[in-house]
Amino acid sequence: MPPETDRILSDFVDAWNAGRRPEVDTYLARAPDAERDALAGEIATFLAFAPAPDYDDAALEAIRAEPAVLAAAAALETPGGLWPQLLPRLRERAALTTGDLAARLVSTLGLRADREPKTRGYLEQLEAGALEPRGLSARLLDGLARVLEVPRSALEGAGAVAAPPAPALFRAEGAAADTLRADLDVIADALAAPAGSGWDDVDELFRGGAR
Amino acid sequence: MADEPEHLLLRRYHAARAQGNDPEAARVWERLTLRNFDRIKGLCATFRFAGGTGLPPHETGSAATEAYLRAIAMGAAFEAREIGQYRAALVRVVWNTCHDYGRKELRHEKRSRRLDTTWDDDGEGGPYDAALARYDEHLRAEAEEAAEAEAGREEAERLARWGIAQVRNDNYRTVLELTWFEKLDADAIAGRLGISVDNVYQRRRRGMIELEKILRAPRD
Repeated sequence: MPPETDRILSDFVDAWNAGRRPEVDTYLARAPDAERDALAGEIATFLAFAPAPDYDDAALEAIRAEPAVLAAAAALETPGGLWPQLLPRLRERAALTTGDLAARLVSTLGLRADREPKTRGYLEQLEAGALEPRGLSARLLDGLARVLEVPRSALEGAGAVAAPPAPALFRAEGAAADTLRADLDVIADALAAPAGSGWDDVDELFRGGAR
Repeated sequence: MADEPEHLLLRRYHAARAQGNDPEAARVWERLTLRNFDRIKGLCATFRFAGGTGLPPHETGSAATEAYLRAIAMGAAFEAREIGQYRAALVRVVWNTCHDYGRKELRHEKRSRRLDTTWDDDGEGGPYDAALARYDEHLRAEAEEAAEAEAGREEAERLARWGIAQVRNDNYRTVLELTWFEKLDADAIAGRLGISVDNVYQRRRRGMIELEKILRAPRD
């Protein structure tokens, strides 16, 4: 092995351990062409198991300012979770418009062709963070994983990290509260139940939950 | 103020989940994964398909972003309790993501160069799955005699320690231990061992190559 490549690897390791946030590409660029892939493999081995550095405050602030980190942090505060960040990326990587994705989903899941517009509407809501992720069915996740060519596990957690929806507030006291409480229970049950005649297989996919 | 060590964050994540406090678990998981952002980014930059082709330069950043988001999503239900297992799971996420990114451009190449027999092209496996399986067996074998795990860096690095302990050459192993567990730089290691810095470079790299073979070895 050329000594220069030995040194480059060591320089990377030292910079990592010191929390200096070394850029892999910079170090790979220093290596001779014939050694570059081997060096990449060795850096990968180190990165796979190396302890995270003890970053100082400035380094942590810089990491927090990375777009991916900002996006993930924002996702934790919104009811849509990671879906508004993740779904458009996966869709665009698959070179699909929302309409294309809806069409592929309808076909993959064996739905009637006239369900496509409604499916598209739900997908748009999902990307906008306007759809409660806990309502997404297992069948939908299977279909999306197949169409987008990603492991289902990549999708499963996207909604689970979402902020819980804001609870409804009920402010009443004494007799007024007693009078209303029973009515509210009935209303809550009705809201939680699937709608009657308008509820179809697309609603079941996007709002039916795991059942 | 610097953040808590990784292994403590992982422990707090599990504690929050055990208490049913999912929002707190998500916050702690996000802090833990943030500490590993550079690892994710670096692993994307080292990714190679068969024949040594990496991701196109303009896609490495996008792949790192997606891998980071997928790593955050992994926090919905992460069961392993050792930080080494967490890192191995990150590797799996990164390699899955990079593979997904390259799928269209490199559809004709069925396997990544370094994923060889341990990598399921269409599945969710990772390059270190065989080592993890062997390590799980090792953990099970010693479970009865193991005392309750203690907090601390040494405990947190058990998977790496287990791998490095199998490096046969004493000189390489010593340099890896000083690098991994004491985070000494090359000059400090040279001073500690009374050898030249060039010698440290050489032992480090050869040790790393041996470690890579150990961790990527197919399961017996």
